[in-house]
Amino acid sequence: MAFKWQEALCTSKTGFFIMANQPLPLSQETLAQFNRSMSTEPGASGPPRRRLGSISTRRSSKDQSKDQPHHRPLFLRSMTLPSSESSFLSPTVSNSHISMGKRFSFAGWHQGGRVSFSGLYLQQPIQEVYVENTYRMGPEPGCRFNASRTQQILQATLDSYLEGVCYSPDSCSQLCQMLADLVLSKLKDVNPPRYKVVCQVVVGQSGKQGIRVSSRSLMNPNTDNYTSAVFHNHSLFAVALVHGLYFE
Amino acid sequence: MDDDQSAEETAFVVDEVSSIVKESLEAVIGRNPYEQKRVNQWVSSVVEQCLGQLSKLSKPFKYIVTCIIMQKNGAGLQSASSCFWDNTTDGSCTVRWENKHLYCIVSVFGLAI
Repeated sequence: MAFKWQEALCTSKTGFFIMANQPLPLSQETLAQFNRSMSTEPGASGPPRRRLGSISTRRSSKDQSKDQPHHRPLFLRSMTLPSSESSFLSPTVSNSHISMGKRFSFAGWHQGGRVSFSGLYLQQPIQEVYVENTYRMGPEPGCRFNASRTQQILQATLDSYLEGVCYSPDSCSQLCQMLADLVLSKLKDVNPPRYKVVCQVVVGQSGKQGIRVSSRSLMNPNTDNYTSAVFHNHSLFAVALVHGLYFE
Repeated sequence: MDDDQSAEETAFVVDEVSSIVKESLEAVIGRNPYEQKRVNQWVSSVVEQCLGQLSKLSKPFKYIVTCIIMQKNGAGLQSASSCFWDNTTDGSCTVRWENKHLYCIVSVFGLAI
């Protein structure tokens, strides 16, 4: 229904429609005249008064550079248009809520977000963050995963937290998780950028059983590494494994 | 359509990985009792088989496979892990398996490249 109307708008420099079923482009003079007449009148009311889809050539400051070559006309926001084609701007249509509020630019409409009559955005449009390409293929020279320093941290943590602790089935599951989280938080501080860290802690009761803990990984030996630490006392043992993997 | 397919291909699918792990455990250990001399070899075989099967999936992931085999003697065992990664692309899978004589815990971590 709005096809004819929009077509006309795009082609005309100053799109302006009055009350007619067929939209007619008008000159600047007529536009100015109309605006003057509108400003003198109190407001849109009265049966013979036609509600207007008034479109001015004012543009918001943001869109000046964009709109210069095109001279795109502006639209009013709140227009609930009837379905019939011919009666788009007909004065006899009662539920056309075309109001005389402020105008805003067509380009602004495209940017998304609703615009109030004062021209301000009601909701800030969500701006996507575009991160520039760093063209980095590997970690920086001094920023690799430091296995020896990580091992020292790991060993120190285990020793300090498990000194004199007795194995108990109820508390040791929490202890184990707590240790894993603690080690991770300590490593986050020393972790070089772009590295993912996987930390695993195994705590077991010291009995007369045999146990074997083994790990193998598919990774890039130039950039990635791992480290481990073991602690045991009379009642429990603990094994901590940390892998540092470079993330491109 | 393409997006869905590519998302599926590059996601860490837990079921797939756990079935790979269970198969390799059954194949390597089966019903054998805990033997001090053979456990080293078992652990290596389990982990190697798992890694081999995982790499055959041809997904853009780096894998870490950890295997713990413990004799059944009445002692308790706890295992926990914490990871600093991207939740949307990375995942982990832990399989607890046992037979009459031993416990086995295999953890697989997959980190997207």
